[in-house]
Amino acid sequence: MSPGAHLRASLWSLAAFLGMGMWLEAMFGLRVAGVLDDPLRREFLRLGHAHGGLLALANLGIGWALERLQTPPGWATRVRLASWLGALLVGLGFVGGGLWHGPADPGPLVLLVPAGALMLVTSLVATAMVRPGDAARRQSGDSNPGNAS
Amino acid sequence: MKPATALLFGPPIAWMLAAAVGLAWTATDATAWDPVPARGPAVGSASCRSCHRAQHETWHASYHRTMTQVATDAEAIVLAPFEGETLQTAGFTATFDGGAAPHVRVVSDADGSVLLDVDVELTVGTHRYQQYVARIDRGGGALERWRLPFAYHPEAERWIHLGGAFLFPDLTAGDADAYLRHLSRWNDNCVFCHNTEPNPGLRPDGTFATEVAEIGIGCEACHGPAGGHRDRQGNPFRRLLSATGDTGDPAITHPGRLAPDRHSEVCGRCHGQRIGKDLADVLAHGDRFLPGTALSEVSRPILADTRLASDPPGARPFAPRFWADGTPRLSAYEYQALLLSPCYDQGKGLSCADCHTMHGPTPAMQLRPQAKGDAACQGRCHDVEATHGGHEDTTCQGCHMPRITYGLLRGMISHRITTPDPGALASRDDMPDACTQCHVARTRAWAASSMRTLGLRGTAAQGPEGRVSRVERDLIGGDPVQRALAAHALARPEAVGDRQRRLRALVDALEDDYPAVRWFGYRALRSLAPGSLAPVLDRYDFMADVAERVVVVDELRGALGPSVVWADEALLQSLLSHRDDVAIAIGE
Repeated sequence: MSPGAHLRASLWSLAAFLGMGMWLEAMFGLRVAGVLDDPLRREFLRLGHAHGGLLALANLGIGWALERLQTPPGWATRVRLASWLGALLVGLGFVGGGLWHGPADPGPLVLLVPAGALMLVTSLVATAMVRPGDAARRQSGDSNPGNAS
Repeated sequence: MKPATALLFGPPIAWMLAAAVGLAWTATDATAWDPVPARGPAVGSASCRSCHRAQHETWHASYHRTMTQVATDAEAIVLAPFEGETLQTAGFTATFDGGAAPHVRVVSDADGSVLLDVDVELTVGTHRYQQYVARIDRGGGALERWRLPFAYHPEAERWIHLGGAFLFPDLTAGDADAYLRHLSRWNDNCVFCHNTEPNPGLRPDGTFATEVAEIGIGCEACHGPAGGHRDRQGNPFRRLLSATGDTGDPAITHPGRLAPDRHSEVCGRCHGQRIGKDLADVLAHGDRFLPGTALSEVSRPILADTRLASDPPGARPFAPRFWADGTPRLSAYEYQALLLSPCYDQGKGLSCADCHTMHGPTPAMQLRPQAKGDAACQGRCHDVEATHGGHEDTTCQGCHMPRITYGLLRGMISHRITTPDPGALASRDDMPDACTQCHVARTRAWAASSMRTLGLRGTAAQGPEGRVSRVERDLIGGDPVQRALAAHALARPEAVGDRQRRLRALVDALEDDYPAVRWFGYRALRSLAPGSLAPVLDRYDFMADVAERVVVVDELRGALGPSVVWADEALLQSLLSHRDDVAIAIGE
């Protein structure tokens, strides 16, 4: 994923999850029983809205960090994809788990949340650890990116 | 694979694979889905909280939870102070003290002999009034418990002897047997409906090894034992998969998913007094009723014609608990009333759940918010205009579920949904009608002709009934339930009729031979009388000796004037001669 595509995708995600907040407000304002009378759905929709929005912002930060730290393109492309996908899965996992849920538990779509969270965590770890010369050193035989200085 | 791809996408892919395997494994595991043996172990309401927090909270706030409590439990709601209060009744003085360790002692005023001297172990009820249970071995062994013959009334902030709460005449002074008449054994009475999964444990030698799964009415009283459900739902993949269907877990009963008749039977287990099919087995092992199964498999509801195997043919031992047309007139028969309602439609129509919810916002009455007042009927099942009959300020329940049920020292609505027809009862004195319970200064003949005037169907009037209203007749000439309900009707907010006339009639109720009727009269007067009479009413005790009471009654009658009946000696004697002074046992 290119820097421009990541930036645009993150902004789209931010817009979508912030827009979802307006939708939730409308549900409350219109006293929609399907939301008001269902505490579990309410909680998971709120979690999806909050996580999706905040993690879209985190993606903007990761994009900025990748540029700032001059992460090698091979890593940066994959980190952008993983972090954006991770944010999307966390947000949608909460929303889907809340929309289709059982009497006391979220629905199976909530299983997407840990997958997305793992992608975000590994993206952050990679952004922090991978250094500008790691790709060249790997080609010369040093495979541990943390050893570069 | 490149290291970046492996690091970034390996863990989530591994997680999704593990989740898929877990889901597939659970989906194909027969033990996770097959019906379980009907009875798993009961595990207590606390086990339900982690998954069903909202439902647990509404249950926790309910009167069901506190139906029975251990009196010394720090969290128990004990309504009575137990700070040395005394109650003098029929030649005996009861003292209630001990504070956090409640204690009751009853001594004879005549010779100082001790009738009762017990520690209170359990409380029963926290809403209308609270009763107390103590361990007393009267041949039933060390675990034999008895409901004491007193209750604390929080609204009146006073103790009452249960002779004053149930429909019995005044006690004879000094009669210890009569005083203890309402001592009721907990092990084979109260235990059934006031606890969860009760087992009286009656042994062949007559002793009790009573057990309950949970003190009070817990989750499993309505949902059945939850051990199997809890074990299954410990598997998170099963919980996730069960969210995709609407079948629930067959290891637990969800009353909301039951057919109307099965659902109502869950409530009818306690809100409809019944007789076990095998009484000996019930007393030895409990009733074995599993919510969701047919209640008729283990018992039959008590109706007006019900008799026990030991009763002679034609006997109707339970008839006094019902009106002449079979409508229950005591509380704890709501299920029978529903069965008799046309809305029930042989179990395919109305159920308890249509109007009540156990997990709603308010513990009192537990009505569904969307089923209050006219909304319970209109737009859901009936499209009739709410104002039909010209009663703009009256709800559907006001006419179709009149307050003709006695229980817990209150007049309650009937759960038999009926169409008022006062003309059909015009020549009868054996049951009240909906119209004259509000039009308290009117006769049934007037009500019957008014039905015609309003364009409502009804039987034609059967001739004049004189100048005394139906409620005034019942107040003097009815049986104890009629008299109590007549007093109740005279002061209801919806009652129509001259206030002074109603006040005069209520003074007559203060002279009744039944303390419970006097209580109804007294409470009605307190709500209806002007403030100037409050000091006089303050001196009235419905349980006091007649000599004390008559002084206050005379003073009130002097201030208000005599009632229509009191002013007509011939009518008074005629009504008194028809009065039916039956004693009515109430199992509430």
